[in-house]
Amino acid sequence: MMPHDLHAMYSAKAIEYLIAVAFLLLFVPFWSLLNGGPAARRVKVAKRALVPRLVEWFNVPENVYYHPGHAWARVEPDGYVRVGMDDFARKLVGPLAGLRLPAPGTRVEQSEPGWALLADDRAIDMLSPVDGIVVETNAEAFRSDRPPDPYGRDWLLKIKPEKLIANLKTLIVNGTERRWMELNADTLRLRLSPNLGLLYQDGGAPVDGLARTIDPENWDELAREYFLTSEE
Amino acid sequence: MAETLTRTATIRPWVTEKILMGLPPRAYARSLVTPGNAIVALILLVGLPIIVCRFVFGLASVTNLSQTTPWGLWIGLDVLCGVALAAGGYVLASTVYLFGLKHYYPVLRPAILTGFLGYLFVVIGLMADLGQPWRISYPVIRSYGVTSVMFLVGWHVILYLTVQFLEFCPAVFEWLGCSRVRRWAASLTIGATVFGVILSTLHQSALGALFLLAPTKLHPLWYSPFVPVFFFISSIAGGLSMVIVESAVSHRIFRNQVDPEQHVDLDRITLGLGQAASVVLFTYFFLKLLGLADGNRWDLLATPLGAWFLVEVLGFVLLPCFLFAHAVRRRNARLARAAAVVSVAGIVLNRLNVSIVAFNWNVAERYVPSWMEIVVSITIITIGVQTFRWIVNRMPVLREHPDYAGTH
Repeated sequence: MMPHDLHAMYSAKAIEYLIAVAFLLLFVPFWSLLNGGPAARRVKVAKRALVPRLVEWFNVPENVYYHPGHAWARVEPDGYVRVGMDDFARKLVGPLAGLRLPAPGTRVEQSEPGWALLADDRAIDMLSPVDGIVVETNAEAFRSDRPPDPYGRDWLLKIKPEKLIANLKTLIVNGTERRWMELNADTLRLRLSPNLGLLYQDGGAPVDGLARTIDPENWDELAREYFLTSEE
Repeated sequence: MAETLTRTATIRPWVTEKILMGLPPRAYARSLVTPGNAIVALILLVGLPIIVCRFVFGLASVTNLSQTTPWGLWIGLDVLCGVALAAGGYVLASTVYLFGLKHYYPVLRPAILTGFLGYLFVVIGLMADLGQPWRISYPVIRSYGVTSVMFLVGWHVILYLTVQFLEFCPAVFEWLGCSRVRRWAASLTIGATVFGVILSTLHQSALGALFLLAPTKLHPLWYSPFVPVFFFISSIAGGLSMVIVESAVSHRIFRNQVDPEQHVDLDRITLGLGQAASVVLFTYFFLKLLGLADGNRWDLLATPLGAWFLVEVLGFVLLPCFLFAHAVRRRNARLARAAAVVSVAGIVLNRLNVSIVAFNWNVAERYVPSWMEIVVSITIITIGVQTFRWIVNRMPVLREHPDYAGTH
């Protein structure tokens, strides 16, 4: 074989190796491109109506992502995320005088105040379960003339997510929400028992506005404690 | 006499139910008078006499084939494209039966039927090209010719056709109401699938291997020692894309056959297949690059055939690859279907390029198929499509037979 042929052969082989390495290197971003999407594929997408599931006194349906500050998030088939406050939060605070929701276009961050509940001239902040831009708000949420539906028609915000996969990893889901809610109910029961000793044993449902029952003066501080927005 | 009458009385309702789709003969004949069937009749009216002519007077009477170009449109389109696009059968059978992805079952039977008919009409197309069909026993039994790739191709097609028929048999027996034989046929499915995958791997690549015999005749941009691998890998993408196209068309045309209560999530299936096709096309693109580097004839990319090569690789491999990826990201099944159409066109283009456009590229005499060759190809494809239609209208292909629902 002539020397220049050898050279040609080696350069061709070198290019082949480079192509093979390029394939392996490019396959990684290609794979994430294929699987990233609006994150609707790797997350539980809300396709059907939620089935109520009672944990202690509270409705904790499956296939909902829960934030420890008692907000929830559901990923819609179109990739947007609907968020709201969970049944625990609603029963803790009771009837609302109103809501202070961010205007569409506002950027919210996970675990930062996203909206506020208004009751008895007090405002109680709640934390947003995800990062993103608010695209829609529900002005009709928790109207007093109809029974509350915190996971359905009383959703609060529709958000265009920004870091959905990372956000969802920090939320409570896949069965752990059950244990989490039991722990919350346990702590609440400890606070309740001096005043409402037989409530649990009776199997009765708690009254709306548990926080007010426990501490009529500083009930909003108690709620903030559970919503993780307490200033202390 | 009485016995004959009784037999006629038993056969007539059977024919009415199974063949005439429950219609009296006259009503059935009237239902055949449609614009679509008129076009089919016209194609057959022109095509069948040409096929007869070919068998009576030889290839020269209807084709532009010559000693320099012995393989033309019938091999390029009917055989090479037919086999590649029939790959959906083995791809889907492996997906459902071997990988256990049962939610693809609703598109499995149509895929197997497409595969089976694809191969059947490949054989018919091959017969039109080879002539003397009565001598088929020579390569099969009498004179093996084990040194020829043709021997490999011939035996693979015969065996695979049998395997695909076995895979489709449960639907035939469900239609005939033979539950015992159906159970026996269904028990063979896993074995038939495994055998089918082995055969497909071998013969999809064997068709490519045919071109290893002609390294100087095939343009260097298309020729590569990896041609068998190219044929095999691209057949997977072609098969997946064909299943997407075929299922979309079938669910639209045979809407009455699809049971709305089955809740087939065709969009989900389409996106799943599209995702797989995207990965296969991505890999295939890099394999083509490897072939190009191995041939080391980058200079030819600046020629007109080089530009055509780039059109094939960029426009019909890389483009559908990213269209599929985008469709999957956006959960857009319609875009995935469009990508599948481009991908199927790409497979057809590749096979025609290898067998016709880039073949004998350096010979002065260029082969252009005669109008009669084109008509024969169209006729064979039309008969294939009509057979598919006939079967789907009668057998449980797109719908589940109520007696066997959920038994797969």
